[in-house]
Amino acid sequence: MMRAALQRWLALVLVLVAPVSHAEGLRRFALVVGNDEGGEETRPLRFARGDARKMHALLSRLGGVAPGDGRLLLDESSKGFLAALTELEARSREAQARGERTALLVYYSGHAKDGALRLGNSRLGFEDLKRRLAGAPADIRIAILDSCRSGALTRTKGARRAPAFELDSGASHDARGLVILTSSAADEDSQESDALGGSYFSHHLASGLLGDADRSGDGRVTLFEAYSHAYARTVADTAASSAGAQHPTFSYDLAGNGDVVLTDLRASSEGLVVPGLAPAGMYYFVDPAGLVVAELDKTPDVERRVALAPGTYRVKRRMSDRLRIGEVEVSRGRQAVLEESRLRDAPFSDDPVKGVAPDGGSWWTVGLSGSMQSFFDAPTRESLFLSVGMVGAEAQLHDYFRRDWVWGVDVAVGGKQALLALPTLSGPAYRYSVTSLGTTLFSEWPHGRVAPFVGARMAYLVMRRDFEDASLPDQKYAMFSPGLVAGLRWQPLRHLHLTGRARLHYLLYTVDEQRSLGFWELGALVTYQP
Amino acid sequence: MRYPVLACLCLAMSACGGDFSNDDLEFLNALPQREDLAVKLPGGRQKGAGQRLSPDKGALAVRLGEASQLVGDTDETGQEFNEGVDGLLSFLEAIRQLPPTRREPDRRIWGPYRDNNHPGFDTRFVMTRAGERFDYQLEYRRTNQGEDAWWAFLVGAFQADAGIRKGTGDISLETGRARGKAFTTGMEALDRLEIHYQTQALPTRVELVFDYALPALLPAKYVFREGAGSVVEMTFEIGGTDLVPGGQPEDVALTTRWAPDGRGLGSLEVLRGDITGAKYTECWDRLGRVTFIARSWDFFTPTEGDRTTCPDVSALDP
Repeated sequence: MMRAALQRWLALVLVLVAPVSHAEGLRRFALVVGNDEGGEETRPLRFARGDARKMHALLSRLGGVAPGDGRLLLDESSKGFLAALTELEARSREAQARGERTALLVYYSGHAKDGALRLGNSRLGFEDLKRRLAGAPADIRIAILDSCRSGALTRTKGARRAPAFELDSGASHDARGLVILTSSAADEDSQESDALGGSYFSHHLASGLLGDADRSGDGRVTLFEAYSHAYARTVADTAASSAGAQHPTFSYDLAGNGDVVLTDLRASSEGLVVPGLAPAGMYYFVDPAGLVVAELDKTPDVERRVALAPGTYRVKRRMSDRLRIGEVEVSRGRQAVLEESRLRDAPFSDDPVKGVAPDGGSWWTVGLSGSMQSFFDAPTRESLFLSVGMVGAEAQLHDYFRRDWVWGVDVAVGGKQALLALPTLSGPAYRYSVTSLGTTLFSEWPHGRVAPFVGARMAYLVMRRDFEDASLPDQKYAMFSPGLVAGLRWQPLRHLHLTGRARLHYLLYTVDEQRSLGFWELGALVTYQP
Repeated sequence: MRYPVLACLCLAMSACGGDFSNDDLEFLNALPQREDLAVKLPGGRQKGAGQRLSPDKGALAVRLGEASQLVGDTDETGQEFNEGVDGLLSFLEAIRQLPPTRREPDRRIWGPYRDNNHPGFDTRFVMTRAGERFDYQLEYRRTNQGEDAWWAFLVGAFQADAGIRKGTGDISLETGRARGKAFTTGMEALDRLEIHYQTQALPTRVELVFDYALPALLPAKYVFREGAGSVVEMTFEIGGTDLVPGGQPEDVALTTRWAPDGRGLGSLEVLRGDITGAKYTECWDRLGRVTFIARSWDFFTPTEGDRTTCPDVSALDP
């Protein structure tokens, strides 16, 4: 009797410890890829690279990936992707040859369309990637794809569109095979959030890996815990979005069984402990930029651990009628304890969560322009306001007021030598010059590296003519001039933009008589994006 | 918040406008400048560089190599001519410095302004255009009088011919009318001063006519012409000159022509006097020294010197 009870206890211990022992005996390689650009017919993402950075840092800090075994690729092409994968495969093969168990994790955040990952202008087919991972020399291959319609990769054996899966915990031998997590189903877009400063899926996956997904409270977050958590939170957060709910998918083709520990919260000596006595509810941990870096769904009387990196965080607990907010300092090498007494009541208006918009996602450019200005009315352009070439400088602020809105200020000058030709006066030589100060607000519709735009502009024009003959007075005219602008921006290089544009302007002339004039400008702009 | 916005709007609107006008240029082009009307004699002589033909001289007794009396006469007369032109144009110079006060189709008005030089008077300048013809008037009225009280002190017209102040024009200064309006001008001896000019083709011509209120010894009419190659001509009359011994003084018509290098040819015709109809011709070198003389009334020595020393000034021939 006693022996039978002991055997059952030992079996239970073995089951519980199995993932731990697997994790500790596993050499982990990680390829983390982020690319905001998706080439033609896509609009640039805002947070794909940022999500990749966060995931790389998290896997390095908590995921057991040694510094030399992780690769972070940003804005690389499919060629770079495959080259890095080849390198990691080679290292995994060498490790296997030495008798080590290995895991290869590939995380991708970026565009996907038409059955392929879109890395800038290059593509990597889902099936090609799947075949490549299926044959990769690692005991466990895990692919996490945070991209639109990535669920197409899991529409095969083992595909699940729900978190309700279970693995046989009575594993008799180590798991081997391929696991694929995708952020959305085959017919869904993967959505980003300005408030989270990342994609919903990657945010909740990362938050789960920091501890929120550790339902068992054992200080370890397994692949399935992380996925279940990310699934539930992603669906919940996107249910009310205009794009509709986003459903992550899961596919596995495992021989053997057993769970895989993705992060070990105890691997980091620092972090935050939320005591069991702390009130239950949703806790949000906000970094100094106002972004939620981790969440925690606290249940009563259960101590939870959040593996926050060293730093200062604002803690928010949302209640039905108010917030409880406070600040906590996580020091290097120390576990901080969240004390409820250090939180205070605050109205919802004091929510410390800011999100990245508007200032976080904005970017700016400076550039030089060349253009041609000419009035529609022939007599005007021949004898009053001449057609001239202009050069100028310009600064633009993108995505500040609103996504894909651009506000710009510009200055341009132009001029030419000319001879006056009037009915009763011809021949005097003079220099005609134009100075233009303008501000423009326009909206872009990015498609890959190309972005057509339309907007409005207000310019302040100063025209002068200075006569060589001292008997003729130099003349000046200044006026505000409203107009429209349309054009095309092309980004051939990461820091370089080329823009072609046309402007149509109205100018009220009031000296000799009141006349409504119109002029056009055709120009090109070269801008540098720091 | 509302006030700064209003202030910004006002500031912006005040930064608008200007004087960029083709019509303004055409109107200004109709007004002559000194360089268009002034006598330009070559050599830049100083006043009194030559002798002067004068009533008390007694005779035209110049010899070869001596300073020409005609040169001196023309220099003096040219300066008087330019002073007359300056006096008239000074009324127009102020207009050039100011933008029009009112612009209307084919009409520009400067003023009215208070005339600080003539207390109690307002002044304005009105220009009108009809095709290529411009008319203008400098008008005065007593301060606080109505629109009907304006009277013209200076009246001008210009027929434009496309170039820079190229065309034909007339200006008259109504000094007699000003006198009647108790408007002091400093030109009380004159009833009218007129300028008629033609600058559209060579030879250009400027005619200055003095209409004296009282009989005067000074010439009443001066004509200055400039032909191709910068050859210039000055024509005027001198009355009461005792040109030759006899009982009567002579009224003479004097025409001098100048080459760009300063050499010249003078022709004097006796209109009235002892030798009515007689002609005297003289040539001079760059220094104004006589090189050739021809007297139509002298049977013994009708000519002296070398005629070939006379410059070619045929560009001004009809």
